[in-house]
Amino acid sequence: MSEKNQAKSQFVAVASIAAELSAVMYVAKEISLAAANAKAIAFRAGEQAKGFQPITDFINELAKETIDLVHEINEHAFLLYQMTVDDYRRIATCDAFTRVTELSVGAPYAESLAVPREKAQQKMLACHAEFKQHVSELLDQLEGVMHPARAARVIAANSRIEASQAGDYLQSLQAVAESVDNAAQVIHDNVQRCKIALSVINISE
Amino acid sequence: MKMTKIYEGGYQWIMYGRDPNKKDNIVDTNQYIVRTANKCLLLDPGGVELFAPMLAAVLHHAPVDEITDIFASHQDPDVISSLGLWDQAVPHAKLHAPALWEGFLRHFGCESIEYVGIPDNGGIIQLDNVDLQIIPAHYLHSSANFHIYDPKAKILMSGDVGAGLEAAGGPVFVDDFDAHIENMRFFHQRWMPSNQAKRDWINRVRKLDIDIMAPQHGRIFKGDDVKRFLDWFEALQVGIAV
Repeated sequence: MSEKNQAKSQFVAVASIAAELSAVMYVAKEISLAAANAKAIAFRAGEQAKGFQPITDFINELAKETIDLVHEINEHAFLLYQMTVDDYRRIATCDAFTRVTELSVGAPYAESLAVPREKAQQKMLACHAEFKQHVSELLDQLEGVMHPARAARVIAANSRIEASQAGDYLQSLQAVAESVDNAAQVIHDNVQRCKIALSVINISE
Repeated sequence: MKMTKIYEGGYQWIMYGRDPNKKDNIVDTNQYIVRTANKCLLLDPGGVELFAPMLAAVLHHAPVDEITDIFASHQDPDVISSLGLWDQAVPHAKLHAPALWEGFLRHFGCESIEYVGIPDNGGIIQLDNVDLQIIPAHYLHSSANFHIYDPKAKILMSGDVGAGLEAAGGPVFVDDFDAHIENMRFFHQRWMPSNQAKRDWINRVRKLDIDIMAPQHGRIFKGDDVKRFLDWFEALQVGIAV
């Protein structure tokens, strides 16, 4: 893939991440609401849902953790977008300077472009390296979001067990468990798509 | 890129244009430089598509470290969308462009070049011992628009005023003013929005001693054709779309 096409793919990848992350944020907020709802139900259920009460705090913490992580990733993704613009400009500059060199053969001052051309080349390489470093860090952050999502699924399984002891409140609490489980699955899928989007970027040296 | 020296008198004015490799679907433009002993000013250096042939042409007359100044008459892409590339090639240079357009022009990329905003009443660009006057030409056609007048060379670089659109490869100079009118009429009637602005500019320019009027598109006017143009333009109704 040419450097210019690679830069175009980067634009698409980074834009895709922003879209996926906004969906993750939305779902994480839903989990937070589900946690508040579960807490209210568990409180009303009293002794019948005693085992469910601490789970609601876990759910809430996981939602909060996810929201915080997504905030951080969003900031990083925005930085990455700016770097993509910068990278694209550096590549365009190097291409243009190469073209000037071809066209200015025989011009008395053609050699005077050598220094700016060399600097542009160095800047482009530095920009590539920095970009790859940030993509690698972003992949780590995305992996980090997977942890609360996985934990949420375990909690959802425990919630189902505790809900089965809750007598009259069984259905309400099972719905909460279901909602947490679905949300965790959505987060998992969206983050996976972010990772796939980033996979078009070659981060090897 | 065709190069035409239009003034020689201890320093030079050179026009670049009629690029045979230009894509057909982008408007043809004239670029100019003023080359003094140690400095070089680019006037309306052109769009991003034109950067490589333009810089390659300039390298026949000046090394990059002596390209010290760039002038943009207004914000249009065919005037200065190459800014982001000049910013990398001549980071030490100054860009003289309308102050009003600064936030807009920076979208083209301007990290290193110093943006020298031109106030509404114009100013001066000094190149070694040559003083070039920045003449207001607001609303012709851009809301903040300037031309460059060189009182020694008696050249007015007139941006879009005097522009003519014709088939590729047209002559550099007007040789038959009456025949050239149809190349200019629609451009001026449609792109220029204000008869008031037009009259203000004509009154200002009639006070200048001009041998050559050099627009950004089409042919250059010499001698009596400058006065013919001013008379024709004065009588022309502009802003015809409403």
